[in-house]
Amino acid sequence: MEIKETAVAGTLESSDIQIMISKATDGIQIDLQSDVEKQFGDQIRQVITTTLNHLGINAAKVKAVDKGALDCVIKARTIAAAQRASQTTNQPAWEVL
Amino acid sequence: MAENEERLRRTMMFVPGNNPAMVKDAGIYGADSIMFDLEDSVSLSEKDAARVLVYEALQTQDYGNAELVVRVNGQDTEFYANDVKAMVKAGIDVIRLPKAESPEMVQQLEADILAAEKEFGREEGSTHLMAAIESAKGVLNAPQIAAASDRMIGIALSAEDYTTDMKTHRYPDGAELEFARNMVLHAARAAGVAAFDTVFTNMDDTEGFYRETEYIHQLGFDGKSLVNPRQIEMVNKVYEPTEKEILNAKNVINAIEEARLKGSGVISMNGQMVDRPVVLRAQRVMRLAKASNLVDEEGNYIEK
Amino acid sequence: MDNQIVDLYLSNPKVKKDWQDFLTSLNITNFSANEVDQIDYTIGIYNGDDLVATGSVAGNVLKYIGVCNKGVTTGSRFNAIVSELVNRQFANHVYHLFVFTKLKYSDSFQHIGFSELVHSDEAAFLETGSPDVHDFLAEIPRVDNQDDKQVAGIVMNANPFTLGHRYLVERAAKQNDLVYVFVVNTDASLFSTAERFQLVKDGTADLDNVIVVNGGDYMVSYVTFPAYFLASPDHAVTYQTTLDARIFRNVIAPALNIKVRYVGSEPLSRTTNIYNEVLTRELPPAVEVKVIDRHQTLTGDQQVITATQVRQFIKNGETSSLTAFVPETTARFIQNHLTTLQKRIQEGMNIDGN
Repeated sequence: MEIKETAVAGTLESSDIQIMISKATDGIQIDLQSDVEKQFGDQIRQVITTTLNHLGINAAKVKAVDKGALDCVIKARTIAAAQRASQTTNQPAWEVL
Repeated sequence: MAENEERLRRTMMFVPGNNPAMVKDAGIYGADSIMFDLEDSVSLSEKDAARVLVYEALQTQDYGNAELVVRVNGQDTEFYANDVKAMVKAGIDVIRLPKAESPEMVQQLEADILAAEKEFGREEGSTHLMAAIESAKGVLNAPQIAAASDRMIGIALSAEDYTTDMKTHRYPDGAELEFARNMVLHAARAAGVAAFDTVFTNMDDTEGFYRETEYIHQLGFDGKSLVNPRQIEMVNKVYEPTEKEILNAKNVINAIEEARLKGSGVISMNGQMVDRPVVLRAQRVMRLAKASNLVDEEGNYIEK
Repeated sequence: MDNQIVDLYLSNPKVKKDWQDFLTSLNITNFSANEVDQIDYTIGIYNGDDLVATGSVAGNVLKYIGVCNKGVTTGSRFNAIVSELVNRQFANHVYHLFVFTKLKYSDSFQHIGFSELVHSDEAAFLETGSPDVHDFLAEIPRVDNQDDKQVAGIVMNANPFTLGHRYLVERAAKQNDLVYVFVVNTDASLFSTAERFQLVKDGTADLDNVIVVNGGDYMVSYVTFPAYFLASPDHAVTYQTTLDARIFRNVIAPALNIKVRYVGSEPLSRTTNIYNEVLTRELPPAVEVKVIDRHQTLTGDQQVITATQVRQFIKNGETSSLTAFVPETTARFIQNHLTTLQKRIQEGMNIDGN
């Protein structure tokens, strides 16, 4: 999956996470803001990175604002943002869901 | 009719599909059915995100014994095909078709579900479906719609769009819904599927909510669609069987048991034959009584 | 459903009145045409018939955010409104957003992903999204060992680049190892941003230690300093320029090791004069301010050189008068594009402001 434009998914409401994905040249850089950064920061980053890797994205700039999202929500928002960024919203990545 | 063993469907709680807080907590309120909505409660720009969110939640969240339903977008939208595929892949119990107007629409959904079951290796026939009746045409075709598929578990009246189609709006006494309610209910009963009444949105009008719920209970609806978890307890209260109903039902159950022990094919009680509808009603009352915690393990009434 | 967000059409007088009354009840009271006319759209949340939350967008700035928390979890409506505005802007491919807010609300915005760029005693200025100020700073060219160099900065609109601008840059170039010239990014002038930027580059090409940079959203932009482009009362100018000056002092200057900022004296423009006063008050001691007297023409009558006068020449077609006011590069551009520029003036481009 190729990132073609900046895109975002998710909201700033409780239990959600807002994920913005833009192009980057190498590696996945995650700028995370979370109230539970200390306890869960690494885990949140891990879910985002793993999900992106499964989508075939190995380079991306990610800005994430977490409002206490569960892993399944983090994964869902990452997928939605990545599909928007790659303009593939109408062709869901079934194998990754 | 999708299944022989009838389950309780008193409460079908609507959950906006793009709201993680509500999707996450949907299982804790004890609704008989949870309906994740990808349609009206999700704005056009968020359809894709809601679909993925509900999908991922279904993979990981524990919704207990609740029947899980997803309302997909209408067949005339660009979202419908992917909604159906994603939800079949997610292993949803029931797909709800909005704005059903003809049996052909239901058959189309059935074909699409079957194709998705094959594509994703899900057991064929394991995905059930239901239809929402939301227009004059839908009401008039309700009998055919209710009987259109073996996968059908029930039909629901959706009053907001229906009253708009009828050039009216909702009134407290519900007179504008009288025909539609009876049509939908008769169609469901004739086809042997469940009948769901529409939502009641004014959360401040508790009295009105009870009045409407008692009314549809009296008509014979299986249950009601809900927009707020607070309404679950209220519906369950209306659907609670009385002590007398439970005692009668228990007698019927005892008679069945006795006939089984005797090896007799005929169930009799008080010298009369007990026929099938009576048996079914007794079983339903006992299920209701158990769900309402009115009976113990053996089915004996618990004095309050 | 809770927090159901609806569009508010302010073109409807009843809606506008409710909206204004609600904001007024929250102590948001500036409904001047300057501010309200810029709004692209407005959203709100109703509880029954009562408006209980609202927010608007103007370009890449969130405005008129107002929320009543009565009866709900504090912050839930605020988050819902801001979230919706941010998502709508992102969907419109506007990925970089700003908000000016009372200082006491800065934390609420920071809590949902905004970063504070700067604050004054009363106001705060925050951004969210991408590219942010760090991306902006990262893209600015640097020289070797910049931290050991004497570095100066100049911010100019250069509408167009005149001999006055040239004089200012030259002076700075002589007195420093490196000079950054930041060209105002807002397209609200007779010369477009691209044209102004190119004219500054061409007009300083011979100065080896000058780097011309687009000022982005952070220096005298329509975002930070709308009063530069729209006639505004003095207190608004002071309020905006204080934030503008502090962004330069706290964010821009340290990143580039800028220790001195050059400005031209301003006998003629009230707004720019206030700006210079505020810079002189805010920047030192971190950044020294050098006010250079306005350059005058070398002709016998010694007129003060202003871009305003140059634009007047363009309007009147007096191209022969240009040479005393602008460098050759600018004069040539004007000659070659005279009809286009005059057409812009005829079509209503204001040439009396900045």
